[in-house]
Amino acid sequence: MKNKILLPLVAAAVPVFFAGCGTNAHYVQTGDKEQVISLGQINIQDYANAANDAIKDLLQSGALDKVANPPALIELSYIVNNTSQQVDTDLLTKKISIALLQSGKAVTKTVDSKASGYSAENAFVKEQSGRLPDFTLSGKIIETVDRAGSTRRTTYSFQLSLNDTKAGVQVWEGEKEIGKQGTRSAVGF
Amino acid sequence: MKTVKLLSLALAGCALALTGCTTSVNSVENAQKEGQRNMIADQRVIFDASLNRKVAIVGVNTVTTPGGLLKVQVEVENHTRSLQSFLYRFEWFDANGMQVNNALSAAIPEQIEGKESKFIFGIAPNASCRDFRVKFIEAD
Repeated sequence: MKNKILLPLVAAAVPVFFAGCGTNAHYVQTGDKEQVISLGQINIQDYANAANDAIKDLLQSGALDKVANPPALIELSYIVNNTSQQVDTDLLTKKISIALLQSGKAVTKTVDSKASGYSAENAFVKEQSGRLPDFTLSGKIIETVDRAGSTRRTTYSFQLSLNDTKAGVQVWEGEKEIGKQGTRSAVGF
Repeated sequence: MKTVKLLSLALAGCALALTGCTTSVNSVENAQKEGQRNMIADQRVIFDASLNRKVAIVGVNTVTTPGGLLKVQVEVENHTRSLQSFLYRFEWFDANGMQVNNALSAAIPEQIEGKESKFIFGIAPNASCRDFRVKFIEAD
């Protein structure tokens, strides 16, 4: 008799209990305590960390201050993806570009074809030669995987170079390594 | 008797395991410092006593870069013997006390070994920034 009453109560309580354990959808900030860390891919906070380090280093280096006509004009060049995943490098370069513009020390060459076309037409009308970039910003993202038993360590290296277009030399270089380590799950990865 | 022996073994095992979890840092440096840090008087608001007990702020110094940007360096120290993780975020303010929008405002994760002292630093997003605030959050 007792079981006939208790069992249905327990059966009804179990789903309620597990429903309470779930996390409702909520907004999060990039890089907050709840960030998800994936071994097999670059997370959004990794781009933020790499961009943050690159900008800090670039701004304090003073490389952008040594131009004849400030602010420096930078053209964003290729960021080579040497990882095993499809990566939109704009996740890195856009943060850097915004930070450079905010600093007032550099402007970036537009990638919008219409704007470029108007700029060229404007220069033609005024019989001026368009301004060539003072620098280009290029880089590479490299993935390195190390395994020992069930432990896997993935390191993403973000490499950036600021290249002087007149002298043809690199005036600044930066590298940020983001390493992640964990054990392989039963399913494998 | 058996119980006492088992308990002793278990306790010894626990002690060994805990020792393996702790990592401390020894360091050596110039006793007569060549570089002089421009330490500033800082104001601290501690709501996370747990984090403050583990990773405490030692001091803050600032400098203006040749390019006119405010650079802030914060020294933090791990008072425990084990690795601690935390997040930090810089906020910047102009001469009128208004917060300056910063594209790179995401919290940065950092780790500090047991008994280690390390420096974290931030560079103002532009030359109009005259003031700052650094926030520390304990990571899980």
